[in-house]
This record gives sequence, C-alpha cells and structure tokens, in this order.
Amino acid sequence: MPRESLLAQTLVELADSLVDDFDVVELLTLLTDRCVEVLSVAAAGIMLVSAEGELGVMASSNEATRVLELFELQCQEGPCLDCYRSGAPIIAADLTSADGRWPHFAVESLSAGFRSVHALPMRLRGTTIGALNLFRHEAGTLDESDSRAAQAFADVATIAILQNRALLAAQVVNQELQYALQSRVVIEQAKGVLAERAAIDVEKAFTHLRSFARSHNRRLVEVAHDVIDGSLATADVVAPGRQP
Amino acid sequence: MPSARVLRILTQLKQSAESSANPERLCEVSAEVVGASGAGIMLMSHASLGGTICSSNEVSTLIEDLQFTLGEGPCLDAMHHVSPVLEPDLADPAFGRWPAFAPPAVAAGARAIFGFPLQVGAVCVGALNLYREVPGDLDVDQHADALVMAGVAARSVLTMQSDAVDGELASGIEVGSQIRFVVHQASGMVAAQMGVNLSEALIRLRGYAFANDRQVTEVAKDVVARRIRFHKTSEG
Repeated sequence: MPRESLLAQTLVELADSLVDDFDVVELLTLLTDRCVEVLSVAAAGIMLVSAEGELGVMASSNEATRVLELFELQCQEGPCLDCYRSGAPIIAADLTSADGRWPHFAVESLSAGFRSVHALPMRLRGTTIGALNLFRHEAGTLDESDSRAAQAFADVATIAILQNRALLAAQVVNQELQYALQSRVVIEQAKGVLAERAAIDVEKAFTHLRSFARSHNRRLVEVAHDVIDGSLATADVVAPGRQP
Repeated sequence: MPSARVLRILTQLKQSAESSANPERLCEVSAEVVGASGAGIMLMSHASLGGTICSSNEVSTLIEDLQFTLGEGPCLDAMHHVSPVLEPDLADPAFGRWPAFAPPAVAAGARAIFGFPLQVGAVCVGALNLYREVPGDLDVDQHADALVMAGVAARSVLTMQSDAVDGELASGIEVGSQIRFVVHQASGMVAAQMGVNLSEALIRLRGYAFANDRQVTEVAKDVVARRIRFHKTSEG
C-alpha cells in the first residue's frame, strides 16, 4: 500500500476507535506497528500513565523496544521519561554523542541497535498522559512530514484514550447533566411562579429565591420545589419578617 | 475523498477537545463534514426539553425552535428511538410524519432533514440535526461521518459537564447555548395565572404559539414581560 494511503488508513482506524468501545492496549499496539510501517523508524513504543499516576510500557512494536523502555523506567532516565515529564518532544539525534545526558540509557539503547530516538508527548489540554517513542538504527532526525504524521498519531491516540476514560464515566456524568438540567428548569419555573404571585419581575423573584435559600441554609432547587408546590408561602419568600 | 473528511473530523476533534467551551465549532464542522446546509445540536432530557447547544445558521436555529415549539421533529424522534431518523424529502415525508413541523421547515428552506442521537454507549444526551436545501439521501460515507460527529458531540457535552460544579450545568453548555430558560419562567407564570400544574402550563403555551403561528420562545418572552396573560378558564 502506498505511504499516503497507509497514513490515511491508520488515521481512519484510530478514528473508528472513537466511535466504538475498544481495548486500549490493542489500539496502542496497532499504533506502534503502524509507526514502523508508515514512518522511517525501526521500532516504536508507548508509555502511558495509569489512573494511579504510574508510568508503564503499554505497547511496543517489538520485544527489544519493550525491554529498552522498561529499562528506562527502571533506571529513571531517558528521552521518553524526559518527554513525559516536560510534555515537550525530545529528540536524541545521536546517542553516541549524547554528551552524557542519559549515560545508562545511551549504552543500553546502542547495544539494542538504536542510535537515535524521538519521543513525542501524548498531551491534551495541558495534561500529558504518556509518550510515543520512535527508535531508529541510524543517527539523525525525522523529516518534517514524518514528524508531523507521528505527532498526529500521538494526538489521535491521546484523544481516543481520554475519551475512552470519559466513556467509563459517561453514565455518571449524564446523570449529573440530567440533574443539573432539571434543577435549572425547576428554578426557572419557580421564578415564574413567584413573579406572578408576588407581581414582581422574574429577576427580582430570583433574588428573593436566592436570599431565602441562603438565609435558611437550603439548596436553591429545594426552595424552588417548595415554591412551586405551594408548601412555601409567597409572602415568606418575598418579604420575610417584613410587610408583604 | 473519505480520508480528507476523516482528517477534518480529527482536526475538529483536537480543537474541540482543546477548547471545550466552544460548541459552535461542532455544528459548523458537522455540517461541513456531512455535506449538509446546516446543523444544530439539541440537548434533551427525559423530564425536560433542554435546549439548543449550537446551530450553524438561522435555518438550523429555526428548525430547533420549531421542534421545541411543536414537540415533534427529527431530533425528538432520534432521541426517542435512539436511532438515526432520515427524511430525504421533507416536502413529502415518510408516514406523513411531523404534520406541524414539516411545512414551516420546508418553507424555511429545509428539503431533506436528518436526526442522529448524541450517544455514548447506552447514554443518549440529545440529538444532532442536519438539513439540506435539496432533497436526497445521505450517501454511505456521509451517514458514517454523521454518526462519528454525533458521537463526538455527545462526548464533548459530557466532557464539558464533567468539569461542572456539582449540581450545576457546565458554563460551557449554559453560556454558549440557547437553552430556553424563558419558556420555563413563562410556564411558571402561566401555571400561577391559570391555577394549573407546570406541564399543563407548558402545553397551553405551546398551544397558544401554534395557534398564533409564533415561536414558543417569543410567546414566553411576552408572558414574562406581561404583554400576554393566560386566564383561569380555557380561553387565552
């Protein structure tokens, strides 16, 4: 398959995951495989932070990469970790001359046959959830179109993962949404009821509802319900302790 | 070219996720991606009517208003059946459906209309409405893209709400949207004027709007401003 089609197809596959339920590890494994097929890289791996805040190796295109990333986590140094910590891309163009930045990682990586590494952040709205790491046998940097495609992959995977996490909470959030919507409706209705009964405008009615709720330390929506069903007299809300 | 469309969806996704307080973009891109003349997103709940989160142009706004006023139309059906509702020729709709909604919608310029539920798993939060100025079906790709966009919109709504203060509507939903709060205020006033319950009051408001060929939102504004009054008997 030509490169452009493969690129497009990968994005389509990733986008499909946004519609259906999917397995995160499966998605990320697909992503690392496609990085190797589409981009000029020898291997790819993904580190992802768990809900508990722990960074782990989630997927890799081959075993050597997995071992290398695990090593990085163990000795707590390397471009992928720096990328995750800073939220910015980290490029190690030639590990034979990495000026001692990652002494342990450089040795390990070179012995696995990887001379350069690109680590791209998986981030959205200021939150970094992991890093996509691309390993190459030769020294140098990715060309412009490869690095853009790689960042696009990382972005889509990030959205898919965050949305998948959101999906797990969808039921709960929807209940909150329904409750919030219903509460707002009840409060608006109560404003109307009170405005009509007290012959005031709705803004004034709202001011009365709110100050009554505050001074009686009650929730606004409860007061609204009581106004609507008549268990709270208009005079008590509009002019507490004063003339009606 | 489907891949170009998918790329646009992805770009939109990234943007909407980056700035969750801008639902307008969702409507614009939905219309563009699906090849529709306009799009609107309606928020609904079982107990109340909700409102419009966004609409991409005036016709879309009117389509949402009509459904809100008349209590019928593609969004309501899509939400109710939790399934896409497709009407390729609104001038001669299948099963003669939406007898009150169809004529004014056609007059406004909507010849084909489609409703897609905003669904995340088993949760349905509203509906995406797409219309076209010319009759005809969505093709397979457009239908698929509409499903994607409805899913994206549903997740955006839930993502916005997940940041909200407990018990309140997310400001991104409330500020950017045209939730018809005035209609609920007017319902409260009408209920007090007529001595009826709130659902009865809403029915009266809608009946008045329909009989006088007006939008329920406009009638509600008149009620709140005390230019229209309802009386205890069935008149008014």
